[in-house]
Amino acid sequence: MFSTYAANIAAAIRTSLMDRTNFILNSAGMVLNDVFFLVLWYMFFAGFRQVGGWGLHDVALLLGLTMLVVAISGVFFGGYRDMAATILRGEIDALLTQPKTVLARLLARESIATAWGDLVMGIWMLVTFAALSWRDLPLVLLGLTCGTAVYVSSAVVYASLAFWFAGARSFARDLTDFMLLFSSYPGSIYSGMSKVVAYTLLPAGFVVLTPVAMLRAPSWTTLAILLASSLCYAAIAIVAFHLGLRRYRRGMVPAG
Amino acid sequence: MPSTTPTARAELGAFGTLASAASAFALGVRRNFANWPVLMGRALFYLVAMAVLSALWDKVAAQRLSGTLASALPQGGLTLYVGATEWIALSIAAIHLRLEDDIRLGMLEPHLLRPKPYLVQKIAETLGDSLARLFGIGAAALIALALSGRAGPPLAAFLYVAVLGLLAVTVGVLLMTLTGLAAFWVRRVLPPYLIMQKSIFLLGGLFAPISLYPGWFYRFAMWTPFPADLFLAGNQMIAPSAATFAVSAMIQILWIAILSGLVALVWHAGLRKVLREGV
Repeated sequence: MFSTYAANIAAAIRTSLMDRTNFILNSAGMVLNDVFFLVLWYMFFAGFRQVGGWGLHDVALLLGLTMLVVAISGVFFGGYRDMAATILRGEIDALLTQPKTVLARLLARESIATAWGDLVMGIWMLVTFAALSWRDLPLVLLGLTCGTAVYVSSAVVYASLAFWFAGARSFARDLTDFMLLFSSYPGSIYSGMSKVVAYTLLPAGFVVLTPVAMLRAPSWTTLAILLASSLCYAAIAIVAFHLGLRRYRRGMVPAG
Repeated sequence: MPSTTPTARAELGAFGTLASAASAFALGVRRNFANWPVLMGRALFYLVAMAVLSALWDKVAAQRLSGTLASALPQGGLTLYVGATEWIALSIAAIHLRLEDDIRLGMLEPHLLRPKPYLVQKIAETLGDSLARLFGIGAAALIALALSGRAGPPLAAFLYVAVLGLLAVTVGVLLMTLTGLAAFWVRRVLPPYLIMQKSIFLLGGLFAPISLYPGWFYRFAMWTPFPADLFLAGNQMIAPSAATFAVSAMIQILWIAILSGLVALVWHAGLRKVLREGV
């Protein structure tokens, strides 16, 4: 299964790189977009110094991790972005006749060119502004792996709504964008209901906030929470997708 | 080469152009209300964004760290300001994508043979679309404000913001039109869009009034059209006054005139390129 996935995603990446000018423009646009974000936060902290204990370095770490999670997801699992539309258009019919798993084929359908810009900026931000040392590298990699697993899994759950609702096409994207929105702000601002949402429905808490907590104050508890959450969200995604797929196979699909 | 034949243009006349633009505007409004689930989705997105942003500013306001700009924050923080700027930002319809599609896919040419000016029609339709969004998201904002129990600004501020919000959305649509017209020269308008969007966020003061930033930054920003898109309207929520309202409206009208001229220039330059070289 892994070799098929690797072959599929390699083909998708090659396709995204084929139009060189377009690729460079898109990636450069994303880099500029990220620079603007950093400048926004830089000016914010120049004026207000900190928010609930979070300073510029912490937000740079948060943004760096968010950019890398989005970048890794976009480059290597880019099909998540339009998965709901793919389901509603009935494009998975062709995949059902093939022996390989449908979910993996859907995720490997596309590689998003702009994600390379996020990749460059995410690395630059972690190296330059996040006050990390090389000793933190294993934890950064672990945080990114778990964060990406939660992010892609959540996106798959949102997209799987398309097996039940025709309106899931834009709703799935909106939910993914909401999750990113929650992931772009200091964790200290969430309390009460917003904190519950950030750790359940829109799990920014597990995508970036827990990895940030693990990097700033490593503990076995945080590590266990991070691993458990990524496994849990991955399991939920697989179950939700396959429940939906079962409906689809029976022809119980809303019209897109 | 002109975009329509002289005869066709002459037949339509200035009044006809205005009438067709008014129809396109009404179409934009009606289509948005007909597609009410999408409008509700936008209102939901606004409420989620506001939940995050109000949490941020409430936290900053609650801390009141000495030696920081927190002491310069208005009573109640910046939630009302951000509420207004987000309302405007989310109401601006994506004309750049429509222009990109039409220009890239060669769908422009059939329009050039018609007497109705294509770009005027598109802008009018987008303004109608944006007006409906202003209404829908604005209603959600007012309900959320009432339910939150937050102290609102004086009633006059709502009137000022409503008028400035309309002008701000016009500025925003013109800025996005310029972004979309970039499709004459680049295949995808995503890069120019990201630059334009973030310039609006930063220099327009989406998350915080630009008056809170260093003096040099404020002076620089005020020479750009971006404060006319967000800051001038948002500022009325935290410092409402008839005098600043009048000045703000004049600045916005000035920018609408400048940007309209710029849009016309870029449109004709792009059209010349397409008619000479093709898509």
